[in-house]
Amino acid sequence: MAARDFRLTPSPFRYARPSNLNEAVTLLRDRHTDIRILAGGQSLIPLLAQRIVRPHLVIDINRIADLDQIVPCHDHIRMGALVRQEQARVSSVVRTEVPGLSEALDWVASPVIRARGTVVGNLVANAPGTELPAVALALGARFVVRDTRGERQVDAAELLGLGCRLAPDALVTQVLWPRNPGRGGFYEVARRLGHAPVVGAMVSIGSDRCRVGLCGVAAVGLACPTVADALYRRFPAAPDLAEIDRLLARDLREPAFGTDFVGAEYRRRVAPVVIQRALASAAAAGAGRH
Amino acid sequence: MASTEEWLPLSMTVDRRLVCSRVRPRHLLSDVLREHAGATGVHIGCGQGICGACTVVIDGVPARACLMLAVQAEGCRIQTVASLAELEGNPVGPEGLTRLQTAFRQHHALQCGFCTPGLLVSTAVFLARNAAPSRDAIVDHLNGHLCRCTGYANIIAAIESLAR
Repeated sequence: MAARDFRLTPSPFRYARPSNLNEAVTLLRDRHTDIRILAGGQSLIPLLAQRIVRPHLVIDINRIADLDQIVPCHDHIRMGALVRQEQARVSSVVRTEVPGLSEALDWVASPVIRARGTVVGNLVANAPGTELPAVALALGARFVVRDTRGERQVDAAELLGLGCRLAPDALVTQVLWPRNPGRGGFYEVARRLGHAPVVGAMVSIGSDRCRVGLCGVAAVGLACPTVADALYRRFPAAPDLAEIDRLLARDLREPAFGTDFVGAEYRRRVAPVVIQRALASAAAAGAGRH
Repeated sequence: MASTEEWLPLSMTVDRRLVCSRVRPRHLLSDVLREHAGATGVHIGCGQGICGACTVVIDGVPARACLMLAVQAEGCRIQTVASLAELEGNPVGPEGLTRLQTAFRQHHALQCGFCTPGLLVSTAVFLARNAAPSRDAIVDHLNGHLCRCTGYANIIAAIESLAR
């Protein structure tokens, strides 16, 4: 059977399946080659199949040991690059220690996609308007980045901000979520359940302060400290929509974002409502959708 | 470029049958299951992970066959709709249908049937994990499957009839 019989097939690439991280970063050192990392594949493979990306080499990290663990550490939760979204969603330590993240995962994609898609892969793909980058920025997550020179930690903003991207010879091996027990809530307006949101908001209320993340209003996720401080001061009461709208104006540091289907004006207008509903969901003891 | 493209050996178990083949790295599992393993119960709808028609169970976990490279399935145990009775944990009935297939028939939960194999496979795993799901949980589960005959009401009714 010839390859041309297949309707949607990626362009040719070489395939490597390293069994440890040293091998993986050694492969990445070839700077003249366009390389993609394959973890869950739920973002990458559609891009390959539609030939939106045409890498020379795909490095499959799925058989590298110990990257599939969620490990509680002193002041953070460590999550490896192969932790699946569903695994993180149902993790009790994530639900109690990282409020806001589990609730956001309730809204990400659909169950079969979540069973394979990874948290780190979704973050690194950083697709415009998606839930998790906004959550990582608002919660102050950090990434462990590895290349042939060694390992270092970077703030979420260094990877997920406007115009930021990972160095071509580097690989994210872990994401670190600060421990911050409390209540979390998420809400989003989407054109269809399970697809990327139009606008989504996460509210995480800890003992010391509140954190608010917003997606779909800018091309990248937004942390909203001004809104968050006001929510924290007033909790369990909630500011009215006009006040959230005023506060939000101070947190919008990135250019407005819109698509052919949903323009920037609507997104900006609906954002205070979405934040208010995420807050209500957090106030209801952080219960998810079910 | 194409002339230097490598072929890689692949062996996997498909519906209890060992399948050994050679594939290009860029070949998707959905295509290889149909063309090399003869598993025509794997329906290819959108080819980009949206419709759910190609859903199979890989080492016990449902996955979109179109969102995996075939080479990734090396050494894996794959169950398609042909393993439905095994996935449901029930023998087939006198008419040759499983419990889930019977419920789909009784509730008219299919029209053209293109989305049905993927739906049956992922619903079998869904019910094995949660024998009494709420209607909301069923709707959430179905959000990964597109039915263009718009038969969702009957699909929900069929699953609800087994959910107790």
